[in-house]
Amino acid sequence: MARSEPAKNFRLKRANEADERLLVKAAQRDASRFAALYESNFEVVYAYVARRVHDRAATEDLTSEVFHKALANLSRFKWTGAPFAAWLLRIASNVIADRAKRVGREGNVPLNESGPSLTVGPHRGSRSPQTQQTDLEDAERRARVFKLIDELVGDQHRVVVMRFAEEKSIREIAGELDRSEGAVKQLQFRALESLRKRLQDK
Amino acid sequence: MSEVELTERLDLAIEAMLRNPQDVSPDDLEPTISELLRVALDLRHLPGADFKARLKDELERETLMSTKAQSTQRNQPAQSAIREGFRTVTPYLVVPDVHAEIAFITSTFGAQGKVYGLGSAGGFHSEYRIGDSMLMIGGGGKGSKWKGTPVPASLHVYVADVDGVYQRAVQAGAISLMEPTDMEYGERGAAIEDLGGNHWYLATATGPSYTPEGLPNLMPYFNPVGAPKMIDFLKRAFDAEEIARHQSPAGIVHHAKIRIGDSIVEMGEAHGPWQPRPMHFMVYVDDCDAWYARAMTAEGAVSVGEPANQPYGGRTGTIEDPFGNTWYLSSAMKTK
Repeated sequence: MARSEPAKNFRLKRANEADERLLVKAAQRDASRFAALYESNFEVVYAYVARRVHDRAATEDLTSEVFHKALANLSRFKWTGAPFAAWLLRIASNVIADRAKRVGREGNVPLNESGPSLTVGPHRGSRSPQTQQTDLEDAERRARVFKLIDELVGDQHRVVVMRFAEEKSIREIAGELDRSEGAVKQLQFRALESLRKRLQDK
Repeated sequence: MSEVELTERLDLAIEAMLRNPQDVSPDDLEPTISELLRVALDLRHLPGADFKARLKDELERETLMSTKAQSTQRNQPAQSAIREGFRTVTPYLVVPDVHAEIAFITSTFGAQGKVYGLGSAGGFHSEYRIGDSMLMIGGGGKGSKWKGTPVPASLHVYVADVDGVYQRAVQAGAISLMEPTDMEYGERGAAIEDLGGNHWYLATATGPSYTPEGLPNLMPYFNPVGAPKMIDFLKRAFDAEEIARHQSPAGIVHHAKIRIGDSIVEMGEAHGPWQPRPMHFMVYVDDCDAWYARAMTAEGAVSVGEPANQPYGGRTGTIEDPFGNTWYLSSAMKTK
């Protein structure tokens, strides 16, 4: 049983790859099939962008721009063996760089340090394959955490969403859930504990 | 440390992290807290609950519009994945004498088609049409040095007059497997084996048309040992869809119709004289490499040939299923 696991995992990985490739094909023929690609890649793109712009409204704008661009340019996507997400992150990297230039011209907020630097400008997209690979793995790891949230139940789920997505204080959450602050902190602790276990199991 | 203390300390760390992530270094904290804080660090960018759904709606509206725009331009036939006149799946009969086989299907079914000369393996290749369905026939015959192994097929063919076709077949030298008989499932059927060893299940439907609605003139018929497994394989490998399945309470599949692309194949569990007869198929797909990769992920798929451009045009990858059938997955040649 245990011995067949690696073979099974390999088969599964190959199956996922083959499925993704066919999903892309289907969407290239019929744009209404794009939804499946969106569903499976939303979190990765969002995680990648969020890491680089930090501001929630900007993250949403840019994530939205990435998927609109991907949809519009889908016919140009060519399968090279790299995951579809890698292509999306390349678009994201360009979209972020464009915004940085725009913002720079308007003399607004400077780029945060983990964002792409302006000097990348003319050579953008030429980041080394190693960097791209690490960026993808990092975004995928955080995307996994985002998706795991859906496995939390009841108030644990609500606390995590309110605390991290809605950025509410423990007091605000306690008020909304009609619970003590101590109880909310305990829910927060147990939710994170449960996420950590699930991450370990994967 | 009590759980209350832990939850307090964790919250202090989270509070600090949310204010300024740079202030926080999980390494300085005790292990339990630091591990949880690492998870919290990732959650800091958790998307808002309804943003994913909102953007999805937005994209869907956009695809709707673009689909409408496209459909007005789509009157010209798109470069179709499937060769003109063919469907997704075409049975490939391998026979000792191609010319004799052609003579038989021409006189019996009024088939029409063409022989394409000698291929790389020294055998003939030919393509013939019976009603609305295509067949490929390859193998040896006069003028060929082909010494391969014949691979006869089992085919269910709808004809206007089963009795007449049966008579003509037997006159042409076919062996009778079953005389014309009224079947309880709405057709008059007969069965013959031709000189090339192919089985033909002849049928005339008793409805308004001699072919049942929605079915082509000709469909391959499998009698595998373990039909449910074969159906699962076809689903996984070729994204097949089950359109009909009649089975006994014990799970024996008496009859099933499976759609592969725009083709239909039939099957029934092996029984009595109807035993497995593995066949060869040409399968036209939009992307041979992608479908080959997918098919190879199905349990029991064996590679017979990796995708490669072919001297006769097109690109083909070949797999054998666990029931001995060979599938040539073919698409247009790759142009880099």
